[in-house]
Amino acid sequence: MNEENFYQFSTLTVLILLAAFYGGTYLLTLLIKKKKENTDAFMVSNHQIGFGLGAASMTATWIWAASFYGAATSGYTYGISGPLHYGLWGALMILFIYPFGRRFRELAPNAHTLGELIHARHGSSSQLILASSNILGSIISLMVNFTASGALVSVLSPLSFQAGVVIAGVGVLSYTLWSGFRASVLTDFAQLMAMMAVAILIIPAVLFALGGPQTLSDGMSLLTPEQADLFSMDAILKQGAPFFVAVLAYAIGNQTISQRLFAVREDHIKPTFITATIGYGAIVIGLGMIGLMALMTGMKPIDGDMNNLIPQMVSMYLSPVFIGLFFILVIGSLSSTADSDLSAMSAIVMADVYGKNIAKNKPDPTKMLFIGRLTMIVATLIGVILASFSMDILIMLVFVGALWGAIVFPVIASCFWDRVTNLAFTSAVIAGLLMFCVARFELLPMAGFIAVLFELLAAVGGGVVLGLMTFGFCGRRVGLIVGALSAIGLAFLCVGFLRDYTVLLASLMAYGVSTLVCIAVSLLGSSKFDFTQIDQNVINYDPAKTEAQA
Amino acid sequence: MQTFILAAYVLVWPLVSLLVLAVIGVATIKDIQAARREKRELV
Repeated sequence: MNEENFYQFSTLTVLILLAAFYGGTYLLTLLIKKKKENTDAFMVSNHQIGFGLGAASMTATWIWAASFYGAATSGYTYGISGPLHYGLWGALMILFIYPFGRRFRELAPNAHTLGELIHARHGSSSQLILASSNILGSIISLMVNFTASGALVSVLSPLSFQAGVVIAGVGVLSYTLWSGFRASVLTDFAQLMAMMAVAILIIPAVLFALGGPQTLSDGMSLLTPEQADLFSMDAILKQGAPFFVAVLAYAIGNQTISQRLFAVREDHIKPTFITATIGYGAIVIGLGMIGLMALMTGMKPIDGDMNNLIPQMVSMYLSPVFIGLFFILVIGSLSSTADSDLSAMSAIVMADVYGKNIAKNKPDPTKMLFIGRLTMIVATLIGVILASFSMDILIMLVFVGALWGAIVFPVIASCFWDRVTNLAFTSAVIAGLLMFCVARFELLPMAGFIAVLFELLAAVGGGVVLGLMTFGFCGRRVGLIVGALSAIGLAFLCVGFLRDYTVLLASLMAYGVSTLVCIAVSLLGSSKFDFTQIDQNVINYDPAKTEAQA
Repeated sequence: MQTFILAAYVLVWPLVSLLVLAVIGVATIKDIQAARREKRELV
């Protein structure tokens, strides 16, 4: 890394900035800290989070360090439409889950995790599939965020990469450990306010430091025709479409979202998630514009590393005060996501692993809290250790999203269709994952009959994605019609074409195969599930609350 | 014209962020007032 190209803070300045951020956040949590926390509040607060805090928490959680770097990379690579194809689809992940979230709340108003609902619906194997995919996602998220901290600290100060990783790990753990989700929600609000304020200042500051709007106009000549096109097919197929496919997968596969669906007051779910959608989109697309501006000024990322784009632009064109604000912006974004991941993982281990499978719905609240806090410590350690590996953020996002694609249809169908069985759920997920891997890693030659078959299965997957999205907002009949027509239309478009876009093909295959297997196996059985059983089996763990409800 | 459109395309996002910031800020103040009125904890 050529550090001469970046502005350098002194070690003391960076330590003061980090101490002010994490110290301030810790002091904030003292406002809500209780000597004896209860288990339910530790996992989902009081199920009564208001619109303002809920929207702030959802937005802050969904914005992570990769959001800035990914959006800027997309802007730099794909030009005008690049930031849109990163931020818009990421924002829609929040929007499209809320209709399903309301159904989750209706079925299991006392739930803490989506896994609990699936446990009541199907039993342990389906629940543990969901729980383990949630944990995998959160571990990766932790690793990415700690990595971003290490990279930022090492680029902007004499401190080492490892120092940045460890400081972020210890800082986040310190304020989340005692009060869990409650601390995460409260600090998310403060962190989001800071992030938004900084983003609002930095984007115009970079534009005018470059020389104002005229520089953008002049820079258009540096763009290729594809980069200058707002409807670039290159950007749609390589960036937008894989993200679009992952919209539902990320939302279903991520406990940080379901945790907020179960925590926000039920009648506030819709405005909360719509506001978070707009907030996320505005911040992330806006910061992606810095990548576009870098492209338009002919800047080259140092060492060819796209993650250097934003720090490089900020270092080159802004004053040290703005660089300090940018530093806080990144630390705030990665910390708000990391604390949510810690809360999510602790809730999964507390409720899904200990509550349901070890204590069999009769947990010891003290032991449960201890397990939750221990999970946070272990997860932080794993995240810090794994952060030493260097992985491409953008590719990883697509890959994990596609992996989660296999569980989307089985989870949603299980909440609406009484004929889905445990066997149908598990076999669908396994089949979807296997076929995803075959396509993604090209284990079979992508030619002839195999390629056509895979493209047709991917077309079914595309129909499933569009059908489910429509179903969420417009109901079953419209969803089925849109899904079927989309699958037929996509079949014509995909055959002979999609085989060249492996990521997209594999992601859609995961949806298509898991859906077909889930439907086929469900129809083979004759059992029908009574959905009222779910509420009876998903309980509160706090004895006082349970007695009050009784 | 192209200069204006490009500038608007870049600057509209911080503007929308500002609006969302205001909405969330006001809503959170209302959340705090409601929690006090109902004598319950905010989170």
